[in-house]
Amino acid sequence: MTRTVSPRALVAAAIAVLALGAPRRLAAQHATGASGAPSISIPFQKYTLANGLTVVLAPDHTTPTVAVAVVYHVGSKNEVVGHTGFAHMFEHVMFTGSGHVPYGMHDKYTEGVGGGNNGQTYFDWTRYYETDPSNYLETILWLESDRMGFLLDSLDEAKFKAQRDIVKNERRQSYDNQPYGRETELLGMAMYPKDNPYSWPTIGAMADLTNATVEDVKRFFRLYYAPNNATLNIAGDFDPAQAKAWVAKYFSALPRGAAITRPTVGPPAITAEKRLTFEDRVQIPRLRIRWPGVSVHSPDQYALDLMARILAGSRTARVTKAMVYDAQSAASVNAFSANNENEGTIDLIATPRPGHTLTELETQVDSVIARFKIEGPTADELQRAKAGQQLSFVDGLQSNLGKALQLGQDQTFFNDPSHSFTVDYPKTQAVTAADVKRVANRYLGATRIVLSTVPLGKTDLAAHADKSTIITDPLTEKATSAGEAKQ
Amino acid sequence: MNARIHTVAASLAAIGTLSLAASAGAQHQTAALDRTVAPTPGPSPELHIPTWTTTTLANGAQLVVSEKHALPLVTVQVNFIGGARQYEPANETGLAGIVASMLSEGTTHRTGDQLANDLQLLGTFFGASIGAETGGIAFEATKDKVAPTLAILADVLENPTFPEPALERIKARTLINLTQSRDRTASIAGVVFPKLLYTDAQPYGRSPSAESIKAITRDDVLAFYRAYFQPAHAVVTVVGDVSAADMKREIDGALAGWKAGGSMPSFDYPTPPAPKSTTIYLVDKPGAAQSSFSLGEVGPSENTPDYYALRVMNTVLGGMFQSRLNHDIREVKGYSYGVYSRFAFGRGPGAFRAYADVVTAKTDSALIEFMKQLRDIRGPVPPTDDEMAAAKASLVQSLPESFADVSGVNESIASIYTQGRPADYYQRLIRGVNAVTKEDVVRVAQKYIDPDHLALVIVGDRAVIEGPLAATGIAPIVRLDLDGNPIPNPIRP
Repeated sequence: MTRTVSPRALVAAAIAVLALGAPRRLAAQHATGASGAPSISIPFQKYTLANGLTVVLAPDHTTPTVAVAVVYHVGSKNEVVGHTGFAHMFEHVMFTGSGHVPYGMHDKYTEGVGGGNNGQTYFDWTRYYETDPSNYLETILWLESDRMGFLLDSLDEAKFKAQRDIVKNERRQSYDNQPYGRETELLGMAMYPKDNPYSWPTIGAMADLTNATVEDVKRFFRLYYAPNNATLNIAGDFDPAQAKAWVAKYFSALPRGAAITRPTVGPPAITAEKRLTFEDRVQIPRLRIRWPGVSVHSPDQYALDLMARILAGSRTARVTKAMVYDAQSAASVNAFSANNENEGTIDLIATPRPGHTLTELETQVDSVIARFKIEGPTADELQRAKAGQQLSFVDGLQSNLGKALQLGQDQTFFNDPSHSFTVDYPKTQAVTAADVKRVANRYLGATRIVLSTVPLGKTDLAAHADKSTIITDPLTEKATSAGEAKQ
Repeated sequence: MNARIHTVAASLAAIGTLSLAASAGAQHQTAALDRTVAPTPGPSPELHIPTWTTTTLANGAQLVVSEKHALPLVTVQVNFIGGARQYEPANETGLAGIVASMLSEGTTHRTGDQLANDLQLLGTFFGASIGAETGGIAFEATKDKVAPTLAILADVLENPTFPEPALERIKARTLINLTQSRDRTASIAGVVFPKLLYTDAQPYGRSPSAESIKAITRDDVLAFYRAYFQPAHAVVTVVGDVSAADMKREIDGALAGWKAGGSMPSFDYPTPPAPKSTTIYLVDKPGAAQSSFSLGEVGPSENTPDYYALRVMNTVLGGMFQSRLNHDIREVKGYSYGVYSRFAFGRGPGAFRAYADVVTAKTDSALIEFMKQLRDIRGPVPPTDDEMAAAKASLVQSLPESFADVSGVNESIASIYTQGRPADYYQRLIRGVNAVTKEDVVRVAQKYIDPDHLALVIVGDRAVIEGPLAATGIAPIVRLDLDGNPIPNPIRP
């Protein structure tokens, strides 16, 4: 969920960093040591203000711009049933002005001076970021500190309601009006018990969005928007001593907030295969299989990430090769492993070619995976999956924004801004064929969700339709009023 | 061999509205912090526009090299001047995209599987694409992988085999993508809008269809390949941690098998049809949660003398988040998640288009706001000083970000050659944009936005939106099918 989708490259770059399911794109500095092996790092310094705000500075004078990312350790995971979608709606409110900053200044002093800004909310965090010509660093710190400290001083009911309408339109545009757009929220609901915070989507239920109030904004701000729950990350063309002085000037007087209670996250509800059929306004059905995965703290995430690349996506990947190129039963097959703070998912998506059924596709997927579990990957498969990572690291280093976001996410999750290059990168490079074989056997089991998205009225096109339960989506606008009307 | 070197550094300090006096900071050290006062920015950083050298390869292709040594990264693009609009037969729209996909299906030295394997082992980003007016093959690699990747690029460029079974597979996938695109209201608007402005008798008006894709044969692919992938209209651009002198030798060596041939394409576009009086073109998508808007008309080519004024005008109107369209229809009214406008500048008469996805229930109200904004920029509400300053800064001060990475620099330089721009395009852009006046903005708005001759394409749930749209009285409604063909209006009760 982002504040805006605009044609600007800044936003595109940020989306590439965030993209759910894509391999994590890491911003890093590259130098080739005497051994020829790449050593990767982002030079940075980290310190903490008395009020608990963590500050990470990464100067780099290559491009005369500066990127600032403020990451709050709060996301849709901190919501409760009946109030879903609120963390993201709150993110929108953060752009409507604060105690000393009128509405419009965030845009005036970013895109209005040649930069850009955006906000993003996800299960585990909410972040706000700007890229500007480097002479505007102090201005950005002024803007960010004011909404961290004084948002409620100018909270405006009319502007809140407009943002609520905008968020409802974001839900319509990005989910309800997109073919296959509701698959992820249906999978979340199927995977977890109703009170598990990963069971609802970050965008929230339409009914909950409608019911959100200004009082909710105040409560949320007081609970979560304090310096001790945030990380301020600055990357680019600046002088660290000057930056420290400005950070002290604008942030040091903000009061520390109360200690935050993190939600407890229980295990998935599924203990066996769950088969679901969803009717959507689409012409072509598609199959999506989701297995429970692992969190960002699990050592298995590295082998799972490589496993997903070895199984599907590229021409050489096993399932894609077998179905798109050899059997030609599928138009496309993709897979990815995603890792959040407390859980993760492994997804495989297959779109059939005309004349081929979802039942057939599922059988083929299972057959290739069964063989892979016995064989494990070849040396070449493992090498190919690892090979692109070095370039991704070095390429990501070019963007000040990419660096600020990566440092901020790693500090938020691991209390270590360097985690991506000191832990993730070497651990991925160290994954063995035996590791990949082991995680395939451990995670790609019978406990999974098989979701068939089919055209309206065509529930017979589901994979093994006789064993599949037809579901509707309770989170949409229509569900709110009259149930999912059939066309 | 003809070598030129461009060396320019343009200072942005000339932009008076942005370089305010820098002196207030010290007072804040002792006095209590007054948070109501925005900090005064320091002087603008100097903007360095990348420089490059040009030479000609043995086969006649141009070679452009720009050195950027911050990191051991290199991008290589073999660009071609002209694209689908110049090289596709009228009845085979979509052929260019299929040819680009077919390039990775095998060469006389490598099967498609081997190509994929070799490229993945190198760990490079590699791809081919052919757009409307330009196309090419490109890669990004760490410095140590340039030579082996260049060898694969040469193989793909010179020796593709275009196997028939691969063509059938790619056509089948393309047909599925087309079918799926008809489930998206915005994609439908993207096909119907240009067809209304230009008709499908003109390159600007055509989109791929099931019929045009099915008609494509291997002979068509071969014919396109032979006409298109020729040095006479090629520009090889290399950006990154290389030396210009080395690259001339290395590229000449790698592309030694690519023999001279081909010619520059012509960009003589047909004259677009005369605009019709403003009409609402309604495409039905039952149950759609939002209506997709595409509103506009035929615009000028990039070489219009009004180019800079149009860039500024559009930025005030709909080029940014804070622009009038998004501010009004999204931020104030809440009807949409985003509202923008653009001129599709190119070698020919690209379209002006304002667009948004709007909640079904506010389709009529949003259209009223769109029309108000399109009229206001023409004079009733001229641009303010703040709007002018923000629009100019967003066009000029944003340049460093587009030069931040090697692929951004490569795209920026390549576009100068593929779009036929002057070598000092960016310097001219800075001067041209900064010289635009409020009067210029109003003048070009009057000249290029004609509220009486707009195509108003709206794709949404007709049963809900048609009555309210008619009640606005803005324009007559014509119903179209998903392909943009008229369907009879039944007599309304």
